[in-house]
Amino acid sequence: MMTEKELIGKVRELRQIRPRKDWVVLTKSQILGEEPKILFFPFFKPALATVTTLGILFGIFSLAQNSLPGDILYQIKKITEKSQAVFVSEEELPKYNLEIANKRLEELTKIAQTNQVQKMAPAIEEFQANVSETAKNLVKVKKVDEEIVENTKKLEENKERVEKVLATKIETDEYDQALAQLVESQIKDLEGGTLTEVQQGLLEEAKEDFETGNYSQALEKILILSYQ
Amino acid sequence: MSYPNLMSNPRKIFSQIYDRYINKIYRFIFLKVNSQEIAQDLTSETFLRGWESFKSGNKIENPQAFLYKIARNLVTDHYREKGKARIISAEYVKITDPRTNLEEKALLNSDLDNVKAALTNLKEDYQNVIIWRYLDDLPIPEIAKIMDKSEEATRVQLHRALKALKNELK
Repeated sequence: MMTEKELIGKVRELRQIRPRKDWVVLTKSQILGEEPKILFFPFFKPALATVTTLGILFGIFSLAQNSLPGDILYQIKKITEKSQAVFVSEEELPKYNLEIANKRLEELTKIAQTNQVQKMAPAIEEFQANVSETAKNLVKVKKVDEEIVENTKKLEENKERVEKVLATKIETDEYDQALAQLVESQIKDLEGGTLTEVQQGLLEEAKEDFETGNYSQALEKILILSYQ
Repeated sequence: MSYPNLMSNPRKIFSQIYDRYINKIYRFIFLKVNSQEIAQDLTSETFLRGWESFKSGNKIENPQAFLYKIARNLVTDHYREKGKARIISAEYVKITDPRTNLEEKALLNSDLDNVKAALTNLKEDYQNVIIWRYLDDLPIPEIAKIMDKSEEATRVQLHRALKALKNELK
């Protein structure tokens, strides 16, 4: 026969009944609307989830910036560029297009240098599409500035380097024509105005460059002329 | 235990109340419903109702008595809604929930299952007084307050409850 003391001792052993610790923490947070201190799945924390998501997105965008045509992330890079273009004024658009065209040429250089043959064709297509877009906006330029000159020269140099590496010529007729048109209109404007002797000399040099097809050089002369 | 500065930081105060009584209230309910899932539901409902009352500014002099009162009402409602009998045969009452882990199962042996089953078979007032006195270690005056009885009547109740439990375990 169990004594009263033994009986109480048995009853006290029922203290071992306890709720699960994770349930206790989660229930408290649900009732009081607090962030639980301990979670088995920390990704469920809204604040942490937001930071993590932003971190992942940032990581993807950073990786995408170094992607090349033919890569999975390349589309993200293009979308980013197109989104940025929305915020660029019409006046600044030719400069932006030139910058992007130069980026495409840099990609092509990288592809050629690392011998990623399968990416070559899409990269050339990307460049041509981009340079065609540049051509459309280039003809709208009214005043030549340093950035335009710098970017057109850079594009020319980059293109020459790529053509040398690839041992093939990349057709950019549309762009060449647009650039020629821009130089021609700039020369005509200057011819109609009053120029100093030095300016006249520079204009003549620009005309010669134009005749020989050195359009970016001609633009440079026109820019220098405007500083005189 | 009273909380005069209730409105100064009710969330913090209730957080302390929660930490202090969660295990007791859960155990109290678990011993009556024999299910981890139901015990969790009713325990969270107890504290939710407690918090709603607390944050609305109701003065709660004795949080423990207040929470036990809610818990008891919820258990009563649970059985009423389900149309279930409160008395469950000892053969079917297992202290360990099927989902509790092995460690818990090892701790709660069959001997304890028997005590648990015997306790469950007692009438509600006897169950309560045993739980409060020997599991929660509440002093007789405190139990008397919760039960809304005199201290003497509470002592008598406790004595009878123990006797009934001993009979159940024969």
